[in-house]
Amino acid sequence: MRNAYLTYAARRIAQAVAVVLLAYVFTFVVVSILPGDPVSTILHDPQNGFTDEEIREIIAAQGLDQPIAVQLWTALSHFVTGNLGLSMRSGRPVATLLAEVLPSTLILASAGFAVALLLAAVIAYGTQFLPARFGQGLLRGFPSLFLSVPNFVIGLVLIHAFGFQLGLFRVIEPNSFWATLFAALALGIPISAQIAEVLIANLDHEARQEYAAVARSRGLGQVGLFVKHLLKPSSLPVVTVIALTIGELLGGSLITETVFGRTGVGSLVQRSVTTQDLPVLQTVVSLAAVVFVGVNLLADLVYPLLDPRVTLVGSGRSRQAGAEDPATQTTEAVTA
Amino acid sequence: MAPQDRLSAPARAAPLLEVEDLTVSYGRNEVVRKASFALGRGGSLALIGESGSGKSTIARAVLRLLPAGARATGRVTLDGANALALSERRFRPLRGRTIGFVPQDPGHALNPVRTIGAQALEAAALLDVRDRAAGKALVLETFAEVGLDNPGRVFGSYPHQLSGGMLQRVLIGLAVLPRPALLVADEPTSALDVTIQKRILDLLSRLQRERDIGLLLITHDLAIAAERTQSLVLLKDGQVQEAGSAKAVFFSPTSAYARKLHADVPALNPDRYGALRDPGLGRLAQAAGEASKIEVRGVTKTFHVDGKALTAVDAVSFSVPAGTTHALVGESGSGKTTTIRLLLGLEQPDTGDITVAGERLAGRGPDALRGVWRHLQLIYQNPYTSLDPTWKIEQLVREPLDRFGIGSREERAARVREALASVGLGEHLLARGPATLSGGQRQRVAIARALVLRPDVIVLDEPTSALDVSVQAGIMEVLLTLQAKLGLTYVFVSHDLALVRQLAHTVSVMHRGRIVEHGRVADILDNPRQPYTRALRASMPAGISGTARGVPRRVPILAEQSLP
Repeated sequence: MRNAYLTYAARRIAQAVAVVLLAYVFTFVVVSILPGDPVSTILHDPQNGFTDEEIREIIAAQGLDQPIAVQLWTALSHFVTGNLGLSMRSGRPVATLLAEVLPSTLILASAGFAVALLLAAVIAYGTQFLPARFGQGLLRGFPSLFLSVPNFVIGLVLIHAFGFQLGLFRVIEPNSFWATLFAALALGIPISAQIAEVLIANLDHEARQEYAAVARSRGLGQVGLFVKHLLKPSSLPVVTVIALTIGELLGGSLITETVFGRTGVGSLVQRSVTTQDLPVLQTVVSLAAVVFVGVNLLADLVYPLLDPRVTLVGSGRSRQAGAEDPATQTTEAVTA
Repeated sequence: MAPQDRLSAPARAAPLLEVEDLTVSYGRNEVVRKASFALGRGGSLALIGESGSGKSTIARAVLRLLPAGARATGRVTLDGANALALSERRFRPLRGRTIGFVPQDPGHALNPVRTIGAQALEAAALLDVRDRAAGKALVLETFAEVGLDNPGRVFGSYPHQLSGGMLQRVLIGLAVLPRPALLVADEPTSALDVTIQKRILDLLSRLQRERDIGLLLITHDLAIAAERTQSLVLLKDGQVQEAGSAKAVFFSPTSAYARKLHADVPALNPDRYGALRDPGLGRLAQAAGEASKIEVRGVTKTFHVDGKALTAVDAVSFSVPAGTTHALVGESGSGKTTTIRLLLGLEQPDTGDITVAGERLAGRGPDALRGVWRHLQLIYQNPYTSLDPTWKIEQLVREPLDRFGIGSREERAARVREALASVGLGEHLLARGPATLSGGQRQRVAIARALVLRPDVIVLDEPTSALDVSVQAGIMEVLLTLQAKLGLTYVFVSHDLALVRQLAHTVSVMHRGRIVEHGRVADILDNPRQPYTRALRASMPAGISGTARGVPRRVPILAEQSLP
């Protein structure tokens, strides 16, 4: 059993590394076949005043006259060794640019994630204990409501109501506690809906199972049944769902940053897209792939430890569905 | 107030459980109507009926475990308390302590992600145990009492690590542990093998006697009920058809329904289909010199699991003459299923030879096998899972014709209707989906689907084990009629000797991959030489003990018993 798990873990980790590298290659290739060449645009800019001779020299020095396969190999080996290159616009290291904006985005994303988990738990567990006459049906309706409203709309409503009307936070100080909290709410609400829906469906499913009836026949009350029997089996599939929502968290935080006027990875991406700053874009996309694949890897590694029924059959297949095809999900997350 | 005081005097005489005019309805649909019966302290009573008769609903109403949306009216008096009128908070203390529950399918009756020990401690907590250690000691003691070999290992196991029989022992243990006065057992053995069934029923009977527990047994099998309980209540469509002592209902039934139930139990009527079956015995005698339809010679199949070699089928040989039925009998894991997989070409044997209708199967590729499958069809065990729920009946039955490209559109439609008619289904079902059919109808569709290719050989893999006794009788009749009419050759896989007795001409008894005994059904089942065959035979429920034990008597039991 222990041996089977190690084999399984090794396979999963190798797959994850492969997916990240593929994502890097994919972005690189897509960017190089896109029309428009930002390098020559900058170099030919009359303001810079390079002669044709100088331009040729610079291109040769940067290795940009090499075949694309060689360029890819150089870039990939730099990426793997942690050398992220220089920004084309500012000439500063991409690593430095990223370090400036990453903390703000991380705070927002983790706060949003916490909000999502908390809300999902409150809604899902509420449906189990709130009697029908006290609005259980209303509570069950929340997830579909949350899902159908885009998070920038939620953000705008929150800014209007709590920023302008109630004056809880000042819109020009986007990094204050209250502003961050509401940004996290705007980010977390749609994500909480997905988790809550899965949790509610699982709880209802488990409560209908024969073992729940048998447990009740042993004298367990509603709370005992919930805590001892329903909580764990209904939460297990949520591990996979949470891993999948991380992509949404990444995409959502970029939008939320724009709506709340926060400086973060979102604004960095926005700037680099408009100026075609390829090294920065390449890094951000690859970073998103690393985060997404990493979280899914974690979910895959943890799941067999939580669910005793999962058997790791020889080659490392787990019984769990979902998170099976990280490659497609990564590209989805990046384009979101 | 003290209602106990008022009740204490007559409580001795009053029954432990009294159900009066119990009606259970879902919306306007009444599934149980005015059912009444009473069960005394330490007594036993069986509720008998087919699926949908309301027997399980009554059990759930008594346990107050009806699903949301169900409404129970009438009166259920449990140990002096009006069980239906109590609030959930007042009823909860009765759960486990006064009324225990043994469910139908042990595989789904325990939380799959918690250890058995953790769940067992919930039952122990109902008694005033000092601490966890005392609770655990009590659980281990109970596990030993219900016949679990290694209580400590069971305590630490997850449900999926134990067999169905062991799980049912666990569940029975958990139900009796808090010393309830009443045990409700809802078809406690219908998901288990025949030999395990007997042991579980023996365990229930022993505990009931030793602990003076009142037993409410829910079953669809009249023989089991009569064998195990003092009084019987027969239910049909939610209404009580007949009630009385087990002896009275079993030997001199007054209602037509009781007589039908009696006739449907295979163990009580070994020669029920004699007229349809016996011509096959003639073919058996004729065929002595000729080549058989199916020849299996010295077939061995070994699987390698986790580096260990497991010989699932070990030097198995048998032959089936055309137009006869050969039964493969044995428990789960005896190699029956592997044998038929080999026969169908789904697995290749390591050694040995299989011939069907003169064609050798071994070493054939998938294309060559397709040709064989036209003549060789399989009917699966569970009609609830073997039919695609999104297809219409017409599509399901026609599919084999489409696969083999047989006939024009009209010809196919005609053959589909013909096949349905031959299993007793009307054309009005053609456009329906499997979900709208009963289990018996579904299995008939599966038979029609196999027949539509006009095969010579049909392999029947426990075709009725998922069905009620009375539905099973209908399917048996269809199969035998088809054999008599079309001269089909059957290979019939079963663990139910009584059914084999009714249907088959020859039998091979399998045990751990080997055939331990084979020959004509009457010879083997009347005079089993091997202890294993004897054990299998002894596990057949045969109604009231001492009377119907010797199953293959020529004289119908009813007539014999009504003499004195």
